[in-house]
Formats: sequence, structure tokens, C-alpha cells
Amino acid sequence: MDITQILFWFLSILAVFGALMMVTSKNPVYSVLWLIVVFFAISGHYILLNAQFLAVVNIIVYAGAIMVLFLFVIMLMNLNAETEPQKNKWLKIAGVIAGGSLMLVFIAALRHSNELIKTQVSMGGEAGLIKTLGKTLFTDYVLPFEISSVLFLSAMVGAVVIGKKGD
Amino acid sequence: MNLILLSAIWGIVMMFSGLFLNSKSAAKTVALVGAVALLIGNIFDLSGKMIINSDFKGMLQYERFGLLFLTVLILALIIYILLSGKDVEAVGKHPFEYFALIFFVMSGAGLVALFNNLLILFIGIEIVSIPLYILTGADKRNLKGNEAALKYFLMGSFSTGILLMGIAFLYGAAGSFQVERLAMITSEDFTAFTTIGIVMVMVALAFKVSAAPFHFWTPDVYDGAPTVFTSFMATIVKAAIFIGFLNLFINAFAGKSDSWKLTVAIITALTLFIGNITAVYQQSVKRMLAYSSIAQAGFMLFAVFAVNDLSKQGLLLYAAAYCFATIGIFAVLVKMKDYTFEGFNGLAKKQPLVAFVLTVCFLSLAGIPLTAGFFAKYFVLAAAVKTGTYLWLVIFAVVMAAVSVYYYFRVIQAMYFKEGETQELELATPFKALLVLVAAVIIVLGVYPSLLLDMLIFF
Repeated sequence: MDITQILFWFLSILAVFGALMMVTSKNPVYSVLWLIVVFFAISGHYILLNAQFLAVVNIIVYAGAIMVLFLFVIMLMNLNAETEPQKNKWLKIAGVIAGGSLMLVFIAALRHSNELIKTQVSMGGEAGLIKTLGKTLFTDYVLPFEISSVLFLSAMVGAVVIGKKGD
Repeated sequence: MNLILLSAIWGIVMMFSGLFLNSKSAAKTVALVGAVALLIGNIFDLSGKMIINSDFKGMLQYERFGLLFLTVLILALIIYILLSGKDVEAVGKHPFEYFALIFFVMSGAGLVALFNNLLILFIGIEIVSIPLYILTGADKRNLKGNEAALKYFLMGSFSTGILLMGIAFLYGAAGSFQVERLAMITSEDFTAFTTIGIVMVMVALAFKVSAAPFHFWTPDVYDGAPTVFTSFMATIVKAAIFIGFLNLFINAFAGKSDSWKLTVAIITALTLFIGNITAVYQQSVKRMLAYSSIAQAGFMLFAVFAVNDLSKQGLLLYAAAYCFATIGIFAVLVKMKDYTFEGFNGLAKKQPLVAFVLTVCFLSLAGIPLTAGFFAKYFVLAAAVKTGTYLWLVIFAVVMAAVSVYYYFRVIQAMYFKEGETQELELATPFKALLVLVAAVIIVLGVYPSLLLDMLIFF
């Protein structure tokens, strides 16, 4: 077992353990902290795959911005054990069945994933580097990249229209 | 491409003119100029003259059907602005921004209609959706509107997540976002990846067009939103997403259509049943129209179900018939204070012309011959018959169309055969003239549907 494999298993176990702890924690703030652990473990995986840019963006966007947003929401809502609403027993059962079915489908899909590997075009070890990414973004994917600006612009206009005081 | 560029640019122009023009009432005029510019740009698109003549490495495809469909949408937008522009200005303090958002939606509609790559479809659907969340909550003092906007936003974001996941699975199966690659993959036997991808994309798109069982947001959102924006959402936006739905299924998934036909058939049947039956029990005309828009989506789903040449013609005609009729009805409804069926009592005596136009619109929605709705329903059902399977679905649709006649005629009956204190309606002469024009278009399309359909071949 070389160092890459050891790292892979370590990160995988950390990610799964963190995800389980996130779901089972009673305190929502702990859940959020475990989620951050999961994100860091996944970023580690990206680095192992030689995708540094994705790893950094994952930490900045998810572990940084979105987590802060989550924490704010949780603190504003002031959740704790007493205020937690009692969940319906049937709702829980329905959730288990729905989630279980989804898991079943995913397992069925991933069972065949080995066959897919050979159909994929390999881009070599350079695929995740910023240089490659930037080149692709401004040649092959220039239209979606530029047109997303319309999306963000409309979201900004909306934030101003909805959030402006005094009307 | 002209349309996508021009509408994005005109959205920005709208915002800046809000800064420099002081009078609120200028918004309608500026928007109208923009909409006409879109129409001209789109006609240049149709004849192949574009500002940027490129398909961006296969991201877009300039198919005649998509471009013609966009022309219909722009015409509907022009009529919408002419009829309801004043009411958009009355919603809140930011009329220029509302129109800017409407232009951004049109840009998204252009992407959805012309996509050749799943990324473009995704971005297009997002550009269409996000302004709608805002427009739903535009009337900030209205609690119901706020609730509707939040509900729409949360559920819409969730369905976007499902769409994205489906696209990711399809990418996993095909190794590409290109529609041609997907068509290759889906013409072979489905792998689990393909199946999950198609189902997830189908669910998300069904949510966006408010097909049952993903329709639960529709009545609340359409009822809670300001009525002018309900009119926009229920017509132009719904039609725009339908063309994306149809194009995706025709161009990418048609290869082994038997594998997913049953699912679409069940969604269609459920949509028709829930939409029509629930509409019967409504007391408010606005809410009835929300359910009727679910029911009409069921008919439009027939085009997706059939995936053949007739379904393109059917969807084109259906979108035109449905958009014009619904915009006409909503334009009058906005002016009324009482949205219940009783509010329409005795309207024919006070406003015979308006009552006549409303009658034509309702008849068209019900699919009575001599109106555009008849041929629209005929073509989508004929497309389904042509596939030769699932005849029970067609028969079921005809029965449901008969049910729809009941609740549409309740309004007509209230207008003509019931006495009542009618509410005062202040309607200007140009407004009435436009309404008559809408009725004339519906009747002309009902007599000569080939006027529109021939343009698919000649121009």
C-alpha cells in the first residue's frame, strides 16, 4: 500500500464518518461543523485526483461561504432540543422508504460503473489544472460561461427589488 | 442568437432608463420598443442574418421550429405588454426592474428553445426561473404573495437540484453534454446511468411545466402572485419551458422512446385528471385558471409523449392558441376587483364587446371548433394517435376536454345568463380594440391553422 492509497482510505473513512456524524448529531451547530470536515475530506480527494483548482474552490465556496450562511441561519432560527418540533412517525417512515429507494437506485447504477470507465476519454493528469480549465472555459464553453452573467445579473436585480427598504 | 443578445441587452437598457426617466409610465413604452426590437431581431434570425453567426462549438442549433416558436412567444409578449403593461406599472415601485426581469426571462427562453447542449438547457431554465421567483413576490405588502414567492423559490431550487443531478448522470453515461452524443447513448439499451438521468431530468422539467404529481406549487403561486405576473408565468414562460422539454426528448431521447413512454403517459394522464377535476371545484376564476393551466399542460405533454413531426406542429399551434387566449382573459381579470365567478355576473349587458372576446378566449381554451384551441388539441392528439400505442390515453384526454368545457362555460354562463351588480370596469378604447384583435387571431388560427404551420416549412 503506497502513500496515495493510505491517504485515499483515510480521507474516505473521514468523509463517511463525518457525514454520519453530521446526520446523527443532535445539536445543529455540531452538524454544521461535521459538514465542514466532510468538505475538507472531499477537497483532499480532489487534490489526490490532481484537481487543485476544484479543491480550492470547494473549500472557499462550500466550507467558506455556504457554511457561514448555514451557521447564520441556524443561529437566527435559534434551534435547540426543546424547540425542535415533534416529527410524525409516518413522516419518518415515509422518509426512510423514499431515501432507501434512492439509495437502492444509486447502488444499482454504481454496480456497473466499472464498465463506464473504459468509455471515458482520458485527459491525462492535466485535466484539473487551472490552465486547462481556463482554456476550456474560454474556448469550448465560452457561451455558457458568458451567458451565466445574465443569470447573476437577474439575481442581483431581484435582490435589490425585494430587499430595498421603504416600499 | 439575436434574440438572446438583444433581450439581455434590453434588460440592462430597461434598468438604466429607470434611472434616467422619472415618470413611471414610461416603462411600458420602453418595454414595447424592446419587444418590437426582439421581434425584428428574431425575424432576422429566421432568415439567417445574425449579429454573431456562430453555434459556439455546437452549443446552439438554429432550428426553424425553435426560431418560429420564439416568434410566437415574442408576439405574445408584445400583446402582453400592450394589454397589461399599465398593470405591471401598478404592481409596485420598480416597474422598470420588473420589465427588465421579463426581458431576462425572454433571453432564457431563447436559450431553452435553441439549446444543443445540456449546459445551455440548464442555464436557460435557471435564467427563466430566477426572475419569476422575484416577480412572484413583487408586491411586497401582500402576505400571500410573499408566501408564494418563498414556496416557489424553495421548491424551484429543489427541482433545479434534481435537474442538475440528472444532467450529471447523463454526462456520466455519455461522457458529453452534447445532444448528439446523448442521442447515440439512448439509442442503445439503457444503462442504469441513462435511466436515472432521464427520469431525473423528466421529473425536474415536469415540475417546471407544473405537470402532476409535481404540480403542488402551481395553484398557490399562480394565486398568490400579482395577477399580471401570473398571466406572464402561465403563458409565455410555460410555453418556453415546453419547447425545451420537447426538443430534449425529440433530439436526445427519441431513440428508444418505448423505454420512457409509459412514464410520460402516466404523468400526462395524472396531469389531465388532477388539473381538470380540481378546476371544477374552484370558486375564484384566478385559481380556476391556475388549475386549467395544469390541465392545458397535460395536453401539451402529448407532444412530448408522441415525439414525431406532428408533435412539433401541435406544440407550436397549442402554444399560440393557449398563450393568446390566456393573456386575453388575464388582461380583463386584472382590471376586475372581484375574482369570483359571481364577479362576472351580467358582464355581457354592461360590456358586450369584452364579454364576447372573453367568450372566444374561453371557447378556445375548451377546444371548441372554429377557434385555435380546437386545431391545437387536434394536432397534439393526432400526434399521439400516430404513434399507434396508448390509445386509452387519447380517449381519456378527450373525456377530460369535455370536463373542461364545464368550468369554462361557468364563466360564460355567468356573463350572459345571470343577473347581477357588475363591477365598474374602466376600459379604454385601444384596450378594447386590442382585445378584439386577440379574438380575431384566435378565430383566424382556428379556421386556417396552416397560416402558422406552413411557416415551419416556408418563410
